[in-house]
Amino acid sequence: MSDNVETELLLEISDLKTHFRTPRGTVRAVDGVSLTLERGKALGIVGESGSGKTILSRSIMGLLPRSGVIREGSVKFRGQEILGKSTKEMQSVWGREMAMIFQDPMTSLNPVMKVGRQIAEPLMLHLGMNKAEARQTAEKLLRDVRIPEATRRLDQYPHELSGGMRQRVMIAIALACGPTLLFADEPTTALDVTVQAQILELINEQRRDRNMSLILVTHDLGVVAGFTDEIAVMYGGKLVEKAPTKVLFERMKMPYTEALLESIPRLDQPSHSRLAVIPGRPPDLVNPPQGCRFAPRCAYVRDRCLTEEPQLTAAETPGHVYACHYPVGSPEYHERRVELSKVSTVVGGSI
Amino acid sequence: MRFWLQRVAMAVLLLLSVSALTFGAMNILGDPLFNILGPVAGDVNNPDSVKLIEKAKAEFDLDEPLVVRYGLWLSDFVRGDMGVQFSSDGQPPVSDLIKERLPRTATLVLLAQLMAISIAIPWALVTASRAGRLSDRISTMNTFFLVAMPNFALAIILKFVLSIKLGWMPLTYVANDPLSSRLWQMVLPALTIALPVAAVFQRLLRTDLITTLQQDFILMARAKGLSRRRVLFRHALRPSLFSFITVVGLNTGALIGGSIVVETIFRIPGIGSSLVESVLREDFPVVLAIVMIVAVAFVLINLLVDILYSIIDPRVRR
Repeated sequence: MSDNVETELLLEISDLKTHFRTPRGTVRAVDGVSLTLERGKALGIVGESGSGKTILSRSIMGLLPRSGVIREGSVKFRGQEILGKSTKEMQSVWGREMAMIFQDPMTSLNPVMKVGRQIAEPLMLHLGMNKAEARQTAEKLLRDVRIPEATRRLDQYPHELSGGMRQRVMIAIALACGPTLLFADEPTTALDVTVQAQILELINEQRRDRNMSLILVTHDLGVVAGFTDEIAVMYGGKLVEKAPTKVLFERMKMPYTEALLESIPRLDQPSHSRLAVIPGRPPDLVNPPQGCRFAPRCAYVRDRCLTEEPQLTAAETPGHVYACHYPVGSPEYHERRVELSKVSTVVGGSI
Repeated sequence: MRFWLQRVAMAVLLLLSVSALTFGAMNILGDPLFNILGPVAGDVNNPDSVKLIEKAKAEFDLDEPLVVRYGLWLSDFVRGDMGVQFSSDGQPPVSDLIKERLPRTATLVLLAQLMAISIAIPWALVTASRAGRLSDRISTMNTFFLVAMPNFALAIILKFVLSIKLGWMPLTYVANDPLSSRLWQMVLPALTIALPVAAVFQRLLRTDLITTLQQDFILMARAKGLSRRRVLFRHALRPSLFSFITVVGLNTGALIGGSIVVETIFRIPGIGSSLVESVLREDFPVVLAIVMIVAVAFVLINLLVDILYSIIDPRVRR
């Protein structure tokens, strides 16, 4: 019975598609993604720019442009289908049940409105507080996100605060009404490295204290490693691998996931060693490649990958799925790996 | 504080140069004596004429060098005395003429701007939030129509429809009517000025609003669950007002001397009609007075615009 409380299913997405009509054709930004998220858990969505991760998070929330968008599939939030809901209906969910922290704290706060007012706004709207109550709560929220001199900050404008502080203000706004699902879209990308860890730590701590679920969107596998229970890797609008965080790092199956991880510079590499990059560019989502979408850039590509699209398959560990014909660890993978290492020693030797 | 002192000093300098240039140009390009007396000024062999010439020269200090005359004019002007009209026996004095006519033009321009602003802002909000849709495209066509239409044509159409056909509005302005009816008589002329101006304001504000609506903080405001209307009014409008305010300011200054067509059609004896009459008659003191009024209005309005900037945007506060 206690297990039941622990695993309350908060979000259930199946076959979510989000396409944009453009003059160039239909951009299939999110192309059939299925995910689930339990209450209190943190899910990382990882991928390069253009992989559809930001659109996926906005599509789950329903925060998309008014026209030119096709959104299909199913998004169930607390057991209720929210995909077909109108903007008006969603307005009572946004800020109240679901909140979002955006990437750039420099541009995501209104430059001509006092910080206190910006935090108070959702409080007055959703919780029916009056001005004085909202102000008091805003001050408390600023303290929760560890902004010093909270009282004074209430009457300051965003340009009077540093980038890290602004991101804290944004977190305070997102937390204001006690949402059950928090989206953080690259919350640290625009910040100094020294501030990044603090902000992530703050988000994580608030998640635990408030029993919120978190969807952390990032291009940086390193960022999600310490702060998520589960990781979903996106490529070309599709989910290509998903696993509990620890499992993913130990037994990743997709060569793409591996390439993402290898592209993070590491301290144990000799200095001046070349940065590992994934050659090529993410696929054109108007005309995605036939077969595996990663195939044109994959070092382990074989003929079958170019014609037949791999489906999500379960790995041996429960909760681990991947979409690859020749996953990491397969005989074909090893064969190619040996060939590749020969080539790189030859090239390395000639330099 | 230092900034505002600088602004005031600049304004004074600007007004001095405008007055000096206008004063110099008129006296060099025209002949004041001829403009005062007419053909008599050239009739130097007739003792009667000579007497008149001497009298005029003494009255207007015409024998003094230009710089001295400018100095005399300036010291009178700053004390509120704008001199004597050259024509119509010098009656009434220019100050009285201005005092009588300026309030009419000022009322007209102010009323027109208020109308233009209160038409343009809601119009821009509606079209910007539906940019690219059918209603927005129809609105764009209408703005081009309003801007392209000459002022006199619009005045005549409005007058014909609203005053003559429907009889809702008074036909012309009557200077002796009580204040309330004179204000009512100003509505139609003000509307004539306001419509094309509103169209221009709307185009400008619409474009800025569309740019603002693509900003991250608008998405953030939506993510808070605010209604569309609230996002528009509370978050998008204020940061979009800069060029709008600038143009409203410049336009107000320009209208003070430029509402001549409307003043003529609705028979409002205002500054605009005085300006044209006095330029044709080369009545220097009147021209100079009006030029100075327009210049002062420009300076004051721009000062006001700067103050408004700092109210709207905390980032430009000093």
